[in-house]
Amino acid sequence: MNLRFHWMLPKGGEVAVGKPQTAQEAARYRILSTKGNTSAPQPDMEGWTRFARHAEEAGIDSVLISFSRYEPDPFVVSCALGQATKRLKFIVAYRSGLMQPATFVQQVNTLSALIDGRVSINMVAGSSTMEQRGYGDFLSHDERYARAEEFLAICRSFWRSETEVDFDGKYYRVEKGRIHTPFVAPARSHPEIYISGHSEPSEQLACSQGTCWLRVIDTTEKLEASVARIRARGIGVCLRLALICRRTREEAISVAQSLLPEDKEESITRLKDDSQMYREGAALKGDEHWLNGSLWTGLVSYYGPVWTTLLGSPKELAEAFLEYKKIGVTEFIISGWPEIDEVDIFGEEVLPLVREAERRA
Amino acid sequence: MKLRFHWMFPKGGEVGMKTAQETSRVLTTKRRSPAALPDMEGWTKFARSAEEAGIESVLLSFSRYEPDTILIACAVGQAVKRLKFIVAYRSGLMQPATFVQQVNTLSALIDGRVALNIVAGSSAAEQRGYGDFLEHDERYARAEEFLAICHHFWRNDGEVDFDGKYYRVEKGRVHTSFVAPDRSHPEVYVSGHSEQAQRLALTRASCWLRLIDTPEKLQPVVAPFRDKGIEVCLRLCVVCRRTRDEALAAAHALLPDEEIGRQERSILTKGDSQTYKQALAAADNRGWMSRSLWAGLVPYYGSSAITLVGAPEELAEVFLEYKQIGITQFIIAGWPKLDEMVRFGREVLPLIRRAEGH
Repeated sequence: MNLRFHWMLPKGGEVAVGKPQTAQEAARYRILSTKGNTSAPQPDMEGWTRFARHAEEAGIDSVLISFSRYEPDPFVVSCALGQATKRLKFIVAYRSGLMQPATFVQQVNTLSALIDGRVSINMVAGSSTMEQRGYGDFLSHDERYARAEEFLAICRSFWRSETEVDFDGKYYRVEKGRIHTPFVAPARSHPEIYISGHSEPSEQLACSQGTCWLRVIDTTEKLEASVARIRARGIGVCLRLALICRRTREEAISVAQSLLPEDKEESITRLKDDSQMYREGAALKGDEHWLNGSLWTGLVSYYGPVWTTLLGSPKELAEAFLEYKKIGVTEFIISGWPEIDEVDIFGEEVLPLVREAERRA
Repeated sequence: MKLRFHWMFPKGGEVGMKTAQETSRVLTTKRRSPAALPDMEGWTKFARSAEEAGIESVLLSFSRYEPDTILIACAVGQAVKRLKFIVAYRSGLMQPATFVQQVNTLSALIDGRVALNIVAGSSAAEQRGYGDFLEHDERYARAEEFLAICHHFWRNDGEVDFDGKYYRVEKGRVHTSFVAPDRSHPEVYVSGHSEQAQRLALTRASCWLRLIDTPEKLQPVVAPFRDKGIEVCLRLCVVCRRTRDEALAAAHALLPDEEIGRQERSILTKGDSQTYKQALAAADNRGWMSRSLWAGLVPYYGSSAITLVGAPEELAEVFLEYKQIGITQFIIAGWPKLDEMVRFGREVLPLIRRAEGH
């Protein structure tokens, strides 16, 4: 099966229409957006529609729409953006603990019926304790996973069932539940479910309730064992990464360096205090920044683990993606800057090489 | 101020249905009913006609038998430019912060054309299917907290802290704000006839939504709301024809077979809703509540089927009588869904606007 490539949907205002932004501006925008100084909280239909068309053109499968209190609601955004596109799919990030599972299913199913099933779910157990409390959720990290397990078990019961749903758990109780609006898609009766996280509970949740485990990229050597373990359970593996592709490796490296913040105190990583992913990222030291010839973590301590960056020339990158395929990785969710340029470069320079190699294999 | 007229948004498939019998609620609650699916083609057509007819908003009802109202408002809102959406939602289904985030996102996507109809809950059975096990009175107490928190977010004056019986929020923030030309929060309609519903409307709503009754009956009930500056909106059905006799014949032709009546009656009597009970009592006691107000359809089509029947001039006069006692808004339904609305916009609304001096 061909590798699947998804892209991170830019934040509102990030795709400056008609004005190419520098990579550094884009990086800075991410930090500022958590401080309330940008237009990231508002939907950006003009920029997003433009980005979505480029993504479709580039051969991108889906865009991941992140969830936080700093951004618009991803369901509603997918609904609007889905009306403006024809092929692109939407991976909607959502957290358990924000709504009843039946309500969640009703929204997912409604969305699927409105945009021809072009919707998947990225279920996140929760974010920082502080942010969760602002939403009215006071559970601890491990309990959030236990609740997410129940949440998804109920959702799946709704998606599976022609009969009424009954559930009596620790966090949720449902009696004779029915949602009449079905999940509507050409080939599925329920959405794909991505479970992200690096902790033990997240891996377990991916295997019990997910269709795909989503984690930050690492070297193939580091990932090999866990990927094999998960694939053996019939679950896909998707890697999150940032991508910098330029004509030569040297050019890519100089772009990467330009992404470092001017003010080294600017950091979003400390916000996510109880996330294992963030703790791992923040612990990285300077001399550990090159994991191998093409995988760089120089941005991680400032911007967070999803800024682990794969960089190089088109040929080098295509080869790297195929190495991951060999160990069993099935999908990637990429981000890159400037947003539209990097999608274009990927679609024109890298993806054809990957597909060509897959055809030959 | 001009009277404000809204219309009930048809369920999926209803725009194409010609008879009231087809659209009876009993049939639309069946699992394979077209009401379970979005109907963008029918809805877009209906929404455009509503705009042409001079209708301000459409009310999107919430139930487990229908698609989610927030997303439908988003999709249809992209397809039309002026029409507003009164989104019905129940408390107890999501965290207030999440609800505010969704509503604010929607407002930003459709230029603030969104209002809310907050319903404390439906039947106990349906609520339990959503994971909500509170009793009728407690659902209102929770809705009170729910709306208090929502309003706090909409005030946008710093972090939200709340420690109540049903909800707890600590340093809550939702960065996406409510976006509208002239408001920083949505209009909130609270519906229901019970004392708790009225109290909730008085404390947390911008408008009390209730079933139509005669002006004499409503006058004393409406007064406390008007005194507090809260609008009152009436739900009703309309059958308008060239003459009163034609309208009466059309109204009677809406009566379905007895089997549907039996099923609907069991829905109306099983629930714990005051609104249902009062509407059914009106139908059983009198049928005709006044010369033009008929409850004869209630046993078949539900509590909101109290119907104003008559010629255009008669109906215009009746609406203006309600205006005199302080009613400011109406949410109307009719059959066939599209035709009755088009007729209202063509025949009745111009008479009202002329009398209002516009």
